[in-house]
Amino acid sequence: MIHLNGVHFSYEGREVLSGIDLDIASGEFVALIGPNGAGKSTFSKLLNGLNKPTQGTVTVAGLDTKKARTSALARKVGFLFQNPDRQLCRSTVRDELLFGLELCLTDKADIQARLDKTLADFHLDPALNPLTASRGERQRVALASLMALTPQLLILDEPTTGLDWRECMHTMELVTALNRQGATVFMVSHDMEVVRDFAQRVLVLNKGRLAADGTPHEVLRRTELLSDAALLPPQIMQLSLSLGANYDDIDTCEEMTESLIRRRLEK
Amino acid sequence: MKGMLQYVHGNTILHKVPPLLKLLIAIAICAACFSTRSLLVLLALIVLDVILGFIGNIGRQTLRTLCSLCKFSSIIFVLQIFFVTQGNALVTLPLGVRITDEGLRFSAMICMRLIGATLPLTVMLTLTRLPDLTRQLVKVLHVPYKYAFAFTTAIRFIPILARDMAAVIEAQTARGVELDGNFIKKLRLLLPLCVPLLVSSIRKIEAGAISAELRGFHLRGKKAA
Repeated sequence: MIHLNGVHFSYEGREVLSGIDLDIASGEFVALIGPNGAGKSTFSKLLNGLNKPTQGTVTVAGLDTKKARTSALARKVGFLFQNPDRQLCRSTVRDELLFGLELCLTDKADIQARLDKTLADFHLDPALNPLTASRGERQRVALASLMALTPQLLILDEPTTGLDWRECMHTMELVTALNRQGATVFMVSHDMEVVRDFAQRVLVLNKGRLAADGTPHEVLRRTELLSDAALLPPQIMQLSLSLGANYDDIDTCEEMTESLIRRRLEK
Repeated sequence: MKGMLQYVHGNTILHKVPPLLKLLIAIAICAACFSTRSLLVLLALIVLDVILGFIGNIGRQTLRTLCSLCKFSSIIFVLQIFFVTQGNALVTLPLGVRITDEGLRFSAMICMRLIGATLPLTVMLTLTRLPDLTRQLVKVLHVPYKYAFAFTTAIRFIPILARDMAAVIEAQTARGVELDGNFIKKLRLLLPLCVPLLVSSIRKIEAGAISAELRGFHLRGKKAA
């Protein structure tokens, strides 16, 4: 689905990304983590053609992003920005969803069917004004307008920032559902708990280079690497690491509880 | 228009000139643009603006602004030539529409005035730190602080709005909006994009006003009780 070959990207004479090689298969759920200013948003914008590589090639869904127009890529790639307000421009949820659908599709019956399905899936009131809705609702409308197009690749830039736990879980469940249907998800996040719970693969970007690539269990336990990238593992992982080798396989609270009970019973 | 009116650090002679003097120079160039009817003088004033930009080490930025102003002026130029009917007809179009020599001259003058008057203000404001300008407006010209603050805050918002507009366009392009079509199509697509820009601007202004109030802006100048 995504293929990056020797990608360099410079902005105003400063090299932001250097020598990135990466392959992401269809249906993967990949999280990109790293310190502020590491180039995570720049990286994600390379995937939908908003940024063009200064050197190397980026191929997404068979299209070279250097040659393809961003609007053409939009039919295959959905991009959820950190600030949903930049995406919302219509005065009702219905019009907002229609705006995106009419840009990318022509069949009226298909547009109507997708509109009805999305409104039902996201439990959205079609008459609601997204510009005056709560932050969580605005995020949901922005995500709904992307998911209505059933993109092959969904890019999420900090999708859970500013959301409470319930809204965060609801958003991530919707994303996971799309992922289960076969869509590839690429998520930039600072929330290590969300990364551990939802991603299948984690990439660490530091100083413009990919510093690590592996499963959440492998990457989030490398404390030195994470510390270098100004990141901390999820608290339960920190606890299991400090408890020593016997707790090496524990990543979640449930696993820790089970393990402690088992050990107590064994004694 | 990226980076427009955003202060550019430097150590050039223009950076060292007192802010009010810079503003005065810019206003003098603007006044000269509006008082002359000679196209050559207008051209010389535009060249002077560009030279000032290069002296202030913002030459490339000045040329970029000049380019944007030229694009905008070309629309005014095209509209204007059809409204001025005095002078000798150079081209006669159907429905009695005429393009005259006077029309061309007048349109060129309007456009050059627009460019010549806008450019010095952008150059000078790019080379001036806004707090310095506020301070001088209050200390030297005795402008009430509230008004000086409002003036410089309004200027400060221009690059912020330009940056926000770029971000909104980026977000909409990612949704599939194509903004490189013909002018009418572009306008039809751009108009709804102004909504998120307006919403975010109002939110920012509100947050700025609350923040100023929380830091005791309304107490400024009043004696402590």
